[in-house]
Amino acid sequence: MKRIAAFLEKNRKFIPLMSTAVLALLAYAIGAYLFVGMRNPQVFLNLFRNTSFILISAIGMTFVIVTGGIDLSVSGVMALTTTAAAVLLREGMNPWLVIVLMLLMGMSLGAIMGTFIVKLKVQPFIATLAGMWFGRGMCYFISDDAVQITDPTFQIIGKTKLLIPGLMELSERQGTAAPFITIPVVIAFLLLIVAIYVAHHTRFGRTIYAIGGNEGRNEQSARLMGLPVDRTKFLVYTFNGFCSALAGLSLALFVESGHGSYAYAFELDVIASVVMGGTMLTGGSGYVFGTLFGVMVFAVTQALIQFIGSLSSWWTRIVIGALTLIFIGVQTVLANRKSGPRGAQTAEGVAAKRRQQRRLAFGLGAVVLVAIVATVFVSRAGPSAEAETSVAAACTVQFRETEAADLVRAGAVIVYNRAAGPLCVDELYAIYPDGRITADDGQTQVEKQISPAEVEQLLVAISVDHGWFTNEIFSTYLNPCRQCFAHYIDISYGGQQKAVTGVDGTTARPPGFAFALAEIRPLLPEIPVAP
Amino acid sequence: MKKNNDRSFTWRQVTNSTLFFPLVALSLILLFDFIFIPGFFTIENRDGNLYGSLIDIFRNGSTVMLLAIGMTLVIATGGVDLSVGAIMAIAASVAGILMNPSALRDELFFVTDPTYTFQPLWVVIMGALIVSLLCGVWNGVLVGYMRIQPMVATLILMISGRGIAQLITNGLRIQITYKPYAFLGQGWIILPFSLYIVAFIFALTWILTRKTAIGMFIESVGTNFRSSFFSGIDERKVKLLVYTFCGLCAGIAGLVASSNVRTSDANNIGLTTELDAILAVVIGGTAMKGGRFSLFASMIGALVMQAITQSMYAIGVPAFALQAIKAVVVILVILLYSEQVQAFVRGLGASRKRVKS
Repeated sequence: MKRIAAFLEKNRKFIPLMSTAVLALLAYAIGAYLFVGMRNPQVFLNLFRNTSFILISAIGMTFVIVTGGIDLSVSGVMALTTTAAAVLLREGMNPWLVIVLMLLMGMSLGAIMGTFIVKLKVQPFIATLAGMWFGRGMCYFISDDAVQITDPTFQIIGKTKLLIPGLMELSERQGTAAPFITIPVVIAFLLLIVAIYVAHHTRFGRTIYAIGGNEGRNEQSARLMGLPVDRTKFLVYTFNGFCSALAGLSLALFVESGHGSYAYAFELDVIASVVMGGTMLTGGSGYVFGTLFGVMVFAVTQALIQFIGSLSSWWTRIVIGALTLIFIGVQTVLANRKSGPRGAQTAEGVAAKRRQQRRLAFGLGAVVLVAIVATVFVSRAGPSAEAETSVAAACTVQFRETEAADLVRAGAVIVYNRAAGPLCVDELYAIYPDGRITADDGQTQVEKQISPAEVEQLLVAISVDHGWFTNEIFSTYLNPCRQCFAHYIDISYGGQQKAVTGVDGTTARPPGFAFALAEIRPLLPEIPVAP
Repeated sequence: MKKNNDRSFTWRQVTNSTLFFPLVALSLILLFDFIFIPGFFTIENRDGNLYGSLIDIFRNGSTVMLLAIGMTLVIATGGVDLSVGAIMAIAASVAGILMNPSALRDELFFVTDPTYTFQPLWVVIMGALIVSLLCGVWNGVLVGYMRIQPMVATLILMISGRGIAQLITNGLRIQITYKPYAFLGQGWIILPFSLYIVAFIFALTWILTRKTAIGMFIESVGTNFRSSFFSGIDERKVKLLVYTFCGLCAGIAGLVASSNVRTSDANNIGLTTELDAILAVVIGGTAMKGGRFSLFASMIGALVMQAITQSMYAIGVPAFALQAIKAVVVILVILLYSEQVQAFVRGLGASRKRVKS
C-alpha cells in the first residue's frame, strides 16, 4: 500500500491518465462479466471501429486544448467534409483527388480560424463557433438531402476487413466470424503515434505545452522567451482542421453517405473524451496518449448502455456528463494543490479549504459512481433476469423469414419478428393497412385492432422521420447476448420494401433502427404466456 | 485607440457609447431589408392587434432577448453559460409533464381538449422555473465554489442537460394543447404577449443592477476579482447569483419557446440558442473578459441576431443554410469590433469625413 502511495506521489502528473485507463478497462471487465456478448473479441474491436473518427478528431483537439484554446468547429467541418466528398464523388471525380481536396479544405478552414484567433485576437470560442456554423450551413447550400457514396474506391477503403492474426485461430475454434478492424482504425492509430512523437519529442510540441495554462500568463512568458507563439497557435488550429477533415472522411466511410446533419453535437463528445483523457481544459498539461483512453471510456460507456438494453441512449450523454464532471473535479483539486493559495490567506485557512475542496470533489465523485453502479444493477434486477439465463444460453435464433414474406404477400405493411431474449421467444407480428394486427408465438394467436390512421402515421414516422428506406438503416446481426432480443423488421410503404435485422446491445446498430423499433413496439398486442 | 489626439469631442462621445456599434449593425440590416424586401416595414392592424415582419422580429426574438439578459450578467463577471439551451429544454419538459403526465406511463394517450391540464397553470410555471433555478444554482456552485472554469462547468450541464430532459419526458415529444399556457408565446395584447414578459424581466433586471449595488459588484468581479475580494465583495456569492439568475431567464425562455411551438420537445427546444445569446451579448459590446455591461445594448444585439434570421427567411434562404450566413455576419461583426477597425472609425471623426462601414 505504501509503495503504491509512493509511486502515485512520484508520478502525480500521470494520475488522471492512469485513472482513465483503469476506469475504461474496469468498465469493460464489468461489462464482460455481466454480459456474455461483450466477451466476444469483435465487440471489443468494435469499440475502436465505432469511434475511430472520435479518436482522430480528439487527437487534434488535444493539441488545441493544451495551448489553452478550444475548437468547436470540428463537427461543422466534419459534416461539410462528408457532404462535399459525397457530392464530388457523385459527380465522378477521382476518389484520391477528393481525399486530398477534403484534407486541404479542412486545413484551410482551420488556418482561417487560426488567423482570426492569432491576428485579430478573437476568442477561440467565438471564432471556431463561427467556423462550425459556416461548415454546417454550407452543407445545405451543397445538398439538402443525404448523398449516398457508391464510389468503388471508397467502398473498398471503408469495407476492407483487416483480420487480427492471433484472434483468427481462436474464433475458428469457437466457430464464430473472425474479428476484424477497418482501415480508419489503423489510420487513427498511425495518427496517434505521429501525434505522440510530435507532442513530446519536437520543439513544436514543447512550444505547445509552454503556451497553455495559467490563465494566459504562460503565453506571455513564452512570448518573452522568444518562442514563436503566434506561428505555433496558427499551426495547431490548422492541424486540427486537418484532423477534422480526416475524421469527416472516416465518418463518410463508416456511414457511406454525406449530409449536413451528421456528427451533430460531436464537438461535445470530443471535448469530453479529451478531458477524460487527463488533459486540463486550462491548457498546459495533458497527454495525447491519455486521449486514447478518454475515447475508450466513451466507447465502453456507449457499449454498456446498449448492452443493458433497458436504458435509453440518452443515458450515454448523462453518464459522459457525470464522468466529465468527476475528471474536472479531480483536475481542479490537483491544480489547486499545485498552484497553492489564491490571494492572501493564512496557511491553516488554505489547508482547511484544500481539505474541504478535496472532500467535496471526492464526495461528488463517489456519489456519481455509486449512482452509476446502482443504475446498472437496478436495471438488471428486473423480473426474470436471473432465473431464465440458463434457458437463453441454449437459444438459437432462426428468423421466420419465409413466413414473413408470405405475410407481406398477404398484404401486411409491417412484419416484425422478435426472437431470443431471456425467455427465448419467437414472436411474429404483422400489421395490415386496415389497422388489424396479428401476433403469433408458435402456440398462441392473438389479434388486435387499431385505427388505419395510426398505421399510416406509424409508416410515415418510420419511413420519413427515421429514414427507413435510406442507406442509414442497415442490417447488423450478431449472436444476441443472453438478455438481448433479436429483431427482424420488414416494412413495405409507398412502393418500397426493405427488411432489416438487428440485435439489442450492439454498438453498430443504427439509431434509426432503434427508433423504428420503439415506434412499433407500443402498438403490438400482448401475447399471453402459455401455461 | 485610447490615445488622446485632437479628435472631435462629440464624435468620440458618440462612438464611445456602447450603443453605437449595435445600432449601426441593426440599422444596416434594416436598411438592407428596406431596399431588398418590399413590405418588410408594413404593420397590419387586425382586431386591435398589430402584425407584421417588424413585430415578428420582436416576437421571435423574445427567447434570445430573455437569454441575453441573463447571459449579459454572466459574461460581465467574466464567465459564460453554455447550458442555457439545455436548461430551456429541461424547463419545457417539466412544464409539459406537469400538464400531461401520460408520457410517464407506457401507453400513449393524446389530449386534444384545450382546457385539460393535470396541474393548474401556476404550478406548471412555478415547477418549471424552480427546476431551471436549480440548474442555475448547480452552475453557480461549480463556478463560484468549486472554481471550475465557467466554460467547462456549464459544458457539463450542456452535455447532460438534454439527456435529463429526455428522461423527464420519457423520450416523448409532448403536445401542448392547454390554451392558457399557449398564450405565453402565442397570445397578443396589441403587441405579442411574450414581449411584455421580456419587458418585465428587463425592467426588473435593470432596477436590480442599476438602482442597487449588485450591478457594480458584478462589474467589479468581472474587472478584477482579486481587488474586489480585497474590497470586501464575496466573488463566490456574486457568481452564484448571476448563474442562478441566468438559469431562471433560460427557464422563462424555455416556457415561451415551448408554448410558441406548442410542443415540449427535449431534442429541439433551445437548440444552439446559447450561441445566439452569447453573440447577442458580444454584439452588444460586453467584453468576454468581463467588466462593464449594458443590458440595453445586449437587447439590441439580440434584435440584430433575430433581424438577420428574419430577413434571410424573407429572401428565401433555407433554415439550415442560414447558419452559414450567420457565421459570415458574426465574422463581419468581429471585424467591426476589432481594435484596428474601431480606431479607424474613431479616426474618421477627426478628419471630418463621412462614416462608412
